[in-house]
Amino acid sequence: MASLDRNKWLLLASSVGVLVLLVVAAVRENVLLEWRQVQAEVRLDGQPVPVHLRQVVNQTLGVADRCVSCHVSMAPGEQNATGPAQRSHPNVVHDPADFGCTACHGGQGRATLKDDAHGTVHFWPEPMLPVRSTEAGCGTCHATAGIPRREVLDGWSATFERLDCRACHRMDGRGGTIRPDGGGMEGPDLTRVGLTGYRADWHDAHITRAAADTAAPWRTSWRSVSEADRADVERFLATRVAMPSLVSAKSTFFASGCLGCHKVSGVGGDDGPDLTRAGEKDPGRADFAAVAGDRTLDNWFDQHTRTPTSVVVGSQMPALRLTDREVDDLTLFTLSLRRRDVPGSYLPRDRMRVSRFAEREFASDGATVFGAFCAGCHGRDGLGLRAAGVATFPSVANPDFLAVAPDALLSETIRRGRPGRRMRAWSDDTGVRAADIAAIVAYLRTAAATPAPIDSKPARWVQGDPAEGGRLFERTCAGCHGPKGEGLDAPALNNPVLQAAATDTFFVETIARGRRGTGMVGFAESSPIHPTLTRADIESIVSFIRTWGVQP
Amino acid sequence: MTLTPGPAPSRLDADPMPRRDVLGLLSLWSMASALVFATVGALRLPRAAVLPSPSKKFRVTIPETLPPGAAFVPPGRSVAIFRDGDGIHAVSIVCTHLGCIVKATTAGFECPCHGSKFAPDGAVTGGPAPAPLPWRQVTVSGSTVTIDEETSVPTGTKVQA
Amino acid sequence: MNAGSDALRVFRENLRLAPGRIAAAAFRTGVPHTDRSRSTFVFGNVFLHLHSVRTHRWSLRWATTAGLGIATLAAFLITLVTGVLLMFYYKPYPDAAYLSMKDIHFVVPTGRFIRNIHRWAANAMVVTVILHMARTFYTAAYRAPREFNWLIGMALLAVTLGLSFTGYLLPWDQLAYWAITIGANIAQSPREVTDALGVTEVFDPGGLQRLLLLGSDTVGEEALVRFYLLHVMLLPLVAAALMAVHFWRIRKDGGLAKPADVDRRLPAADGTYPVFTEAPQKTYHLAAIVRGRTPAVGHGPEQTVPSMPHLFYAELAVFMLTVFACTALALVSDAPLKELANPLVPENPAKAPWYFLGLQELVAFSAFMGGIGIPAVVLVGLGLIPFLDREEAGTGEWCGGPGGWPLVRRSALIGLASAIAVEAFIIRFGWLREWFPTIPQLVITAVNPGTVLTAIYAGYSMWLVRRYNSTRAGALGLFTCFLGGFLVLTVVGTYFRGPNWQFFWSPADWPLH
Repeated sequence: MASLDRNKWLLLASSVGVLVLLVVAAVRENVLLEWRQVQAEVRLDGQPVPVHLRQVVNQTLGVADRCVSCHVSMAPGEQNATGPAQRSHPNVVHDPADFGCTACHGGQGRATLKDDAHGTVHFWPEPMLPVRSTEAGCGTCHATAGIPRREVLDGWSATFERLDCRACHRMDGRGGTIRPDGGGMEGPDLTRVGLTGYRADWHDAHITRAAADTAAPWRTSWRSVSEADRADVERFLATRVAMPSLVSAKSTFFASGCLGCHKVSGVGGDDGPDLTRAGEKDPGRADFAAVAGDRTLDNWFDQHTRTPTSVVVGSQMPALRLTDREVDDLTLFTLSLRRRDVPGSYLPRDRMRVSRFAEREFASDGATVFGAFCAGCHGRDGLGLRAAGVATFPSVANPDFLAVAPDALLSETIRRGRPGRRMRAWSDDTGVRAADIAAIVAYLRTAAATPAPIDSKPARWVQGDPAEGGRLFERTCAGCHGPKGEGLDAPALNNPVLQAAATDTFFVETIARGRRGTGMVGFAESSPIHPTLTRADIESIVSFIRTWGVQP
Repeated sequence: MTLTPGPAPSRLDADPMPRRDVLGLLSLWSMASALVFATVGALRLPRAAVLPSPSKKFRVTIPETLPPGAAFVPPGRSVAIFRDGDGIHAVSIVCTHLGCIVKATTAGFECPCHGSKFAPDGAVTGGPAPAPLPWRQVTVSGSTVTIDEETSVPTGTKVQA
Repeated sequence: MNAGSDALRVFRENLRLAPGRIAAAAFRTGVPHTDRSRSTFVFGNVFLHLHSVRTHRWSLRWATTAGLGIATLAAFLITLVTGVLLMFYYKPYPDAAYLSMKDIHFVVPTGRFIRNIHRWAANAMVVTVILHMARTFYTAAYRAPREFNWLIGMALLAVTLGLSFTGYLLPWDQLAYWAITIGANIAQSPREVTDALGVTEVFDPGGLQRLLLLGSDTVGEEALVRFYLLHVMLLPLVAAALMAVHFWRIRKDGGLAKPADVDRRLPAADGTYPVFTEAPQKTYHLAAIVRGRTPAVGHGPEQTVPSMPHLFYAELAVFMLTVFACTALALVSDAPLKELANPLVPENPAKAPWYFLGLQELVAFSAFMGGIGIPAVVLVGLGLIPFLDREEAGTGEWCGGPGGWPLVRRSALIGLASAIAVEAFIIRFGWLREWFPTIPQLVITAVNPGTVLTAIYAGYSMWLVRRYNSTRAGALGLFTCFLGGFLVLTVVGTYFRGPNWQFFWSPADWPLH
């Protein structure tokens, strides 16, 4: 019967079809898989390695990384494997056979296909870190405390170089001497010295040894080190924790004033987004419309740091006029802002000290605190910042200003801010402590070489005529400071914190002497371009200015 | 409705045209082979390609204070590591009888499950254990000691640190 | 000594014959090549005896069923086998579930392929069960005496959707998590009415439904365990039980529906196989207590052929075709697995599984009407059809009944056109809320694009009933319209809805989030 035969043909065709499909699937699974083909080429001691899935498992960390199925030479016990793309892992603190790969490098450890494993697929939020940003992975767990700002760190580093310590010691892959007759480095490798520590009497020990040892390096390279240099070297050594790029990137971050607007781990301002976990941003959710190059977070941050508004429409972040190296540093640091839940036994000491014992990632010296919080607006040198379309940020390191401003004015202004203006109150919730404010003030005084003014008068002593002062103000000052002292281009004089913190002497002296380098001229001096004010005129103006403030 | 002329066929008769149904057999056999092939493929699934347990090769840091002859068992591992003047060696502490974890004593090893006893070098001295405790491969390179729980070495192989 | 050696000889002989005897014990009838042995082959086999011994030639035509019922069963069996295999590795616990899916995808031998087959077979089952229902409807096969089987079939449709929906959550990725969140909120939609009436505090069926489904206020580990239980245990058991009843009723209701004049419609048989011809040797003693028409004694069922081999080749062919389709799709298209579920980062748009996107489109108009009101009306209407349509014309024929194919064609046009028109209108002009921002919610619940569309369909169907003086005509029109509306809404929900459920011509136009 025709219909019976038709059904038989149909059964035959579909069965053969299923068989063919199954054979294709079997071939694909058992022959064509990438890792099988990679492993087929791998040799260990000249012998082919058994072809099977390899992995690094760490149940405590929740890691099951199959990366070593292709990167066989990084598999536990197979370091000597050779073949295409086989390279053994550099000797690092964390044994890859224990920690796995993804804990540091990111990517998708469970995957066994290249694109999935490297995480460049659409649905993997944490792609592998690019090789040049590998140290960003350290930030997942580690938080080195007490990193100074760039200039300070560079100073320490320069001392280390100047003393030629690298003649004998290797550090971060550079330096050290192989003895002419073979043998190891003359001195120990200092790459991790910040973690392992060193003998406190190293200087004396060097001296003793130099006296005893006749070997050439000791004769030619060793010199005794001054007290100040020794302090620099010791502080520098404390930052050597086997992640030089990240420490360097951090120091740039703490020199660029980013914390003025961004919070990291609860410290910083809140004008901009909290960056605590910015490095975890899912590239699949970032807008790459205006970003050239690959769709990597690395690329996105790079471009965003250079010109924020070109990447995020309407961004409030100013373009910071950074050098290429600084952009690289800030990108690396932002990428390092990532977290992973690790069990307590794996939580490193540095992170513990930062998260549980309130140690901070930046050093507490005035230069660094100023660099970390203030430099974004007031400039790295404190000389203020002028940018098109943005109100001028005052030059707080101006010697003329510091010469008349008492410390109380500076610290009060930092602590309470300028309500209504960009300067926020640096209260406890920003992570700025009272000691930090004192340090900033001291730093400004040292940097500008201007001690605090000596003022024997009380805070309020001016007895001028406010009406006369008002007329004079209108004529001479209102053009810049605004008719009500609300501040146009120049600082606002009616600000309650300024009124409360500033002494009459400060006002009088500022009007009289002016502030070099700014639009404020000294009105007590005769000049063809402005009226000359007498002492009485100035006191009247100050009395007028005082009418805006709350009378004590 | 019978269309066949002549005497009506009985339902007990065989097919009028008893020929081999090549097409039918072919289709049935191809279906059977497709299903068998599918079953064979599916049966591979329960055999796990990777195990969720950590690698059997691991680095270990032997405590400085470990006295000669005393056993050091790294947490979560099933080898006992010894260090003496001749070097380092590692003895499996999985009983060769039924897989209990044996306890290291001053006289060797004792199994808590069925009372097997082993000498310090792993040789059986009593109980039902059929074979001595194997020694595991120890590799020393520089300051790192690596133990391979999957590779056995002849009893008595010690590695100088 | 002699006796002993005899016994040994017999033992050896028995041993030699054992394989043949084992086979004979299992298959008692031998090779089925006579009419009788073909019959015993069928009723002597526990799996086959669900079939009748002989099959009507009408039932074997491809055009009668297109094999959709068998295809649905085949898809069910495929999901059953592949699903059990996946259970070897799947861990029903949040996060662990996702990791186990990753393992199935990447390291389990054949895991990815089997998961793909499972996913495609599940989708195929949803499609075939809907098509099977449409086939039954258009051939008027729901009519007496098959009304109850129609109801069983509707229950099976619901169970199929439930199986697919519960399986959707198990991968525990973003897609799953947010699709189930949407689905669970659809279950909660009676709140729209209880809220508007202000009685949610005392009477909250929507909240109860959602709580029963999720076991918590959000999709979490409780929901995952519940969905797992439903997916691998409860619903398959219910489906199997209902299927058993469904198949058994097919036989008890007289096989597949056939036109009254089926004999004239079939071409003459070539008479390859004999039919009952001899005079009966037994009388039907039971005839007296069997209700209905007495079996015709003296001549066998005409126009039938032995089920073995005619029916079985057809069934096996459909089965293998389904296997082929699922395997082929599994080979070329991977089942999706997005990022790990993250309750803090919603997918935008969060879409339910595709077969619920029509509902989601309705829910966007009014949660209650889309989630409960209109589906309830549709289900009640479908369930009542066999009891309202008591006509006889057109049973067993495609588009049978007054109006026929031209009516169905016109209804399809009207159903599609009015759904597209309503969608276009609301996308272009908005709805009551946009025009009168303070309008009470109850008004929108009552008057929204969904209810308007339903009203248009219902009105059209009523007109058909009067026009053709036939309930069947109205039912044909209404069913076709709803299929058209379902299609339009599903397509719009699937392809033209983007973030915030706004209309987009293509996903390429979606704003970045």
